[in-house]
Amino acid sequence: MLAIYKKELRSYFTSMIGYVFIALFLAIIGIFFYNNNLLTRSANFEHTIANVSFIFVLLVPLLTMRIMAEENKQKTDQLLLTSPVSATDIVMGKFLAVFTILFMVIAIISTYPLIMTRYGQVPFASSYASIVGFLLLGASYLAMGLFLSSLTESQVVAAVITFIVFFFTLFMDGLASSISTTNKTAFIFFTALILILCFILWIMMHNLTVSLGVGIIGEVILTYIYMNKPTLLDGAVVKMFGWLSATARFNNFYMGIFNLADIIYYLSITFIFLFLSTQVIKKKRWS
Amino acid sequence: MIEVKNLVKRYGNHTAVDDLSFTVDKGQILGFLGPNGAGKSTTMNIITGYISATEGTVTVNGVDVFEEPEEVKKMIGYLPEFPPLYPDLTVLEYLNFVADIKKVKRSLRKQMVEEVMEATKITDMRNRLIKHLSKGYKQRVGLAQAIMGYPELIILDEPTVGLDPKQIIEIRELIRELSKNHTVILSSHIMQEVSAVCDSVMIIDKGKLILQDKPENLSMHFGSTGGLKLVIRGDKDSIMKELGKIDRITKYEENEALEEGTINVTVYCKEDDDIREEVFYSMSKNKTPILEMQSIRMSLEDIFLKVTQDNSSTDSSNAESEEADNNRKQPEGIISSKGEEEDSNAGDL
Repeated sequence: MLAIYKKELRSYFTSMIGYVFIALFLAIIGIFFYNNNLLTRSANFEHTIANVSFIFVLLVPLLTMRIMAEENKQKTDQLLLTSPVSATDIVMGKFLAVFTILFMVIAIISTYPLIMTRYGQVPFASSYASIVGFLLLGASYLAMGLFLSSLTESQVVAAVITFIVFFFTLFMDGLASSISTTNKTAFIFFTALILILCFILWIMMHNLTVSLGVGIIGEVILTYIYMNKPTLLDGAVVKMFGWLSATARFNNFYMGIFNLADIIYYLSITFIFLFLSTQVIKKKRWS
Repeated sequence: MIEVKNLVKRYGNHTAVDDLSFTVDKGQILGFLGPNGAGKSTTMNIITGYISATEGTVTVNGVDVFEEPEEVKKMIGYLPEFPPLYPDLTVLEYLNFVADIKKVKRSLRKQMVEEVMEATKITDMRNRLIKHLSKGYKQRVGLAQAIMGYPELIILDEPTVGLDPKQIIEIRELIRELSKNHTVILSSHIMQEVSAVCDSVMIIDKGKLILQDKPENLSMHFGSTGGLKLVIRGDKDSIMKELGKIDRITKYEENEALEEGTINVTVYCKEDDDIREEVFYSMSKNKTPILEMQSIRMSLEDIFLKVTQDNSSTDSSNAESEEADNNRKQPEGIISSKGEEEDSNAGDL
């Protein structure tokens, strides 16, 4: 794992990507810091952080687009997968490398509230809570980007898909509020979701029995709930969208609240996508 | 050392490897020979644990690849068809990385990287970025990667592709050198390469094992048609008359003469009949000296073509394939004098 971590980290700094990422990140945050804190003489650094959470949507694809896709393209995955390293080692090494780059940026940002103490009182709790939340949010975006990159051979495709998916997470909140909360909507929505799931299963496995089986079982359960306990489905779609929204939970950090549930939420998103990436690598062997 | 049993790999309806079984002993060099798409790379990818098999087992030193892939991967060095190189690293950085992931001990690492670079003759390129190297050098860096850590088993998929003749000879020597301490499997669609290096040859076509034997024994499977190619100085009629007196010659045909005052003639005899001495004394008595004499034997190319053709058209009649054989034998002299060193030396005697 350490070998892959070192190589990956170095490759970000032998090519321009690492520097570009850090420079753009700091420049964007710098502009918002200037506008929100310096210009308005506000000591609340969390305002800056809250304003720039869109930054990941723009910059994380830059960092993660090549991370796995390039290995697939250059066939270097063949070296990694025929060496005595596990899929977990590969994914963790790569994730930690991009996380380190993000951490460098966050470390620099962490000094900003300290700088402001020279000019007055700074609310440290909310400032640093938001920075920690920001880091966790970033980690989950990195994991998502890594996963999406492992699905393709092309950096461009990886970048575009990552960008679209991130964009979607950003507007999940807005979407959720505009959806009706009746249980009928939920029934239709989940039916569509089951159909999509069946379709994906069929594409991946080419096994009609499995995908139809999953579809029928899912639909039976859904119909049962809809017929007997329709209240369970009230507002379920909105809840699900809220749950999927990576930024919604960020608001607690912004208020200076360390909620264990929020921390676990981000960590589990990160974990799930890293786990899925290892599965993609392992699956390659069985295709 | 390696035992492959009933290996099958299917992609949907396409069968890439079809019930392949073989064993390789320690210290052997095994050559996979087959046309493009025969299943050579697939088999190698399965042995190295890169892809799985649909059916069958592969064990290396008694360890099953499918059950304990990481144990097996420790014992294998693999050069795939496309060398897995990182273009943005220098040769030295790349090899250090490879040593790292192959878990070479830290104390040995520096020396081993030097040795491996020395063996593959890339020491001069150590500080170049890999993307700036030529195809031949890239191939050699890939080879260096495969022997890093001196694994017991080295698997090379077409190791000499893209190299110039001098480099090819160097790589062959390196492979021979490696086989003293390692077991080597290499694949190729170039016959001379396999016959020059390997202890044992496996011919694969359409995923099936067609033949496995030592390269020198391969021709025995097909019963070489006995015959000699002769270049003789002297009067044509007298030579032909004299040759006609030899009963053991079943057939002779005249070819186009290349030198003035000589004739080129191909004589045929029964299989396994050695008429060289008789022809020599007969011509010597006739005072028409033989300038060149060359046995017609099936080259590896012929065997390969015959085998793969037979496999693809099993219903073709014997007469047809025999005719095709004869047609193929014509250019043999050209091939051998261009190609294999041993063969052309023997031919010029």
